[in-house]
Amino acid sequence: MSPVVILETVRRHVTHIGYLTFLALLVLAAFATSVFDRPAAAWPGLLVLLAFVTGCGVVGPEFSSGTLQLILVKPVNRAVYLVSRVTGVVLVVWLAGIVAALCELAGRALWGDSGLQARAIGTALLNCATDTILTVSFLALLGSLTRAYFNIGIYLVGLIGLGLSSVVFAFIRQTDNAVGRFLKAHTGIERGLMVIDRNLYPDLPVPPRFDTGWTLMVLSNAAIALLLACLAFRRREVPYGAD
Amino acid sequence: MSVRVRALRKAFGAHEVLRGIDLDIAPGEVVGLIGPNGAGKTTLMSCLLGFLRPNAGEIAIAGRPNDDLDVRRRTGFVPERMNFDRGATGWNFLRYMARLAEVKDADAKSRAMLERIGLAGAADKRLSQYSRGMLQRIGMSQALIHEPDYLFLDEPTSGLDPNGVLLVRDLIAEQKARGAAVLLNSHQLAEIEKVCDRVLFLHRGVIERAETLRQVDRIVVAITMLPGFDVQHIPNAQLRDNVLIATVESEQDIARLVKELVDGGAGIVDVRKHTTDLESIFRGAA
Repeated sequence: MSPVVILETVRRHVTHIGYLTFLALLVLAAFATSVFDRPAAAWPGLLVLLAFVTGCGVVGPEFSSGTLQLILVKPVNRAVYLVSRVTGVVLVVWLAGIVAALCELAGRALWGDSGLQARAIGTALLNCATDTILTVSFLALLGSLTRAYFNIGIYLVGLIGLGLSSVVFAFIRQTDNAVGRFLKAHTGIERGLMVIDRNLYPDLPVPPRFDTGWTLMVLSNAAIALLLACLAFRRREVPYGAD
Repeated sequence: MSVRVRALRKAFGAHEVLRGIDLDIAPGEVVGLIGPNGAGKTTLMSCLLGFLRPNAGEIAIAGRPNDDLDVRRRTGFVPERMNFDRGATGWNFLRYMARLAEVKDADAKSRAMLERIGLAGAADKRLSQYSRGMLQRIGMSQALIHEPDYLFLDEPTSGLDPNGVLLVRDLIAEQKARGAAVLLNSHQLAEIEKVCDRVLFLHRGVIERAETLRQVDRIVVAITMLPGFDVQHIPNAQLRDNVLIATVESEQDIARLVKELVDGGAGIVDVRKHTTDLESIFRGAA
């Protein structure tokens, strides 16, 4: 990994007004929900959103803007660059997560009446941190295959499409037409889509708990996504300008 | 040779943009690349820099593939348009580029480079506040900060004011004097004439013509004379529209040649060191 790229990625984000605004929102949410009985009630969801927003720009937009060409003539291996960018973005999200968790703990210490719940908050932070690796790696993979912000589109279509698929399939199964009969006879299709959904867009364990199986699944999927992203990025042509 | 390209071909689908390019650039040589829009200049540059993968052919820089990290360590590139995180300041940008290029003492060198290109006063301004000319200057500086041996410049004077153009000209001359091999892609023929040793005319994906503008050991001189003088007795010379074009080895030779002509009764109107007229090449070949 390249410390130079990681540091620059972190610097670029933490000095961005959008990131600072989001961080302020996280702090507010963490303090506001620290009076709830349930620990980590709001900020993990916001952190997932932050991972998505920051992960979108890992590499896709750099293809289109021409930024990447300046980097790729420097003595940095493409795969190293990509992994370093992913690491930088993940660190930025983790930093926001740590701030949010500390704010909730501070709030609970100051005015909470359901205990500090440090263990649950720590577990929620750990789960968010794990999920962030997958989200950013998956977006980096999509970014390595597309231009500009198309990775967002693909990610969202997958997220919404797979999320709705079980409802749509259940509805179609009720019908007596050929498709309905086909789906009734081939339940593996629906199960397969649910497995894909669970693997690419895993839900955070609620209430916060450490689940070894979930953690290993998320981390292994992230590793596969990152490996595929590196392979795609190494082969990717990066045209610039026009003749 | 620093840069060696053989039988390079590149196609986008069925459209073949480069159709067998051969190119050599020696250390300390500045080679200009000219041609009409769509000739394949940017594609050639992109292949040389490893942004595009050729369909066929060979690219070697110092005998190594162009994606070799050691080659990249010694390569500089100025894009036609500088695109980078516009929120970064000039200082942040240049220091990042210097660190990526593994420049030792990147901070001090970045500071010195900003001074050199006249942007020290704008170091803390964001790139979004930079004018086109300022972006070109900082683009040039990021390419030179690690003193590259192979320099690829795509329209480096585009958007620059006359002072900026002179600065770029000086910087290219410095790189040449250092022994860097330079490929300059430009539409500005006057600039090419001023800084390049050789020029390649790219047309429809092939190098249609190559002209030597300057040679270390030879000078081309153009002497305009009154009509009616025969020059057949002068070696390495030809007469075109009362202009005698002769190749000599030194400036003393020019003086000797002029004296010989005057002694022979020629009426001399003008004497100047001659470079190939790129505009006429461009007009003739395009």
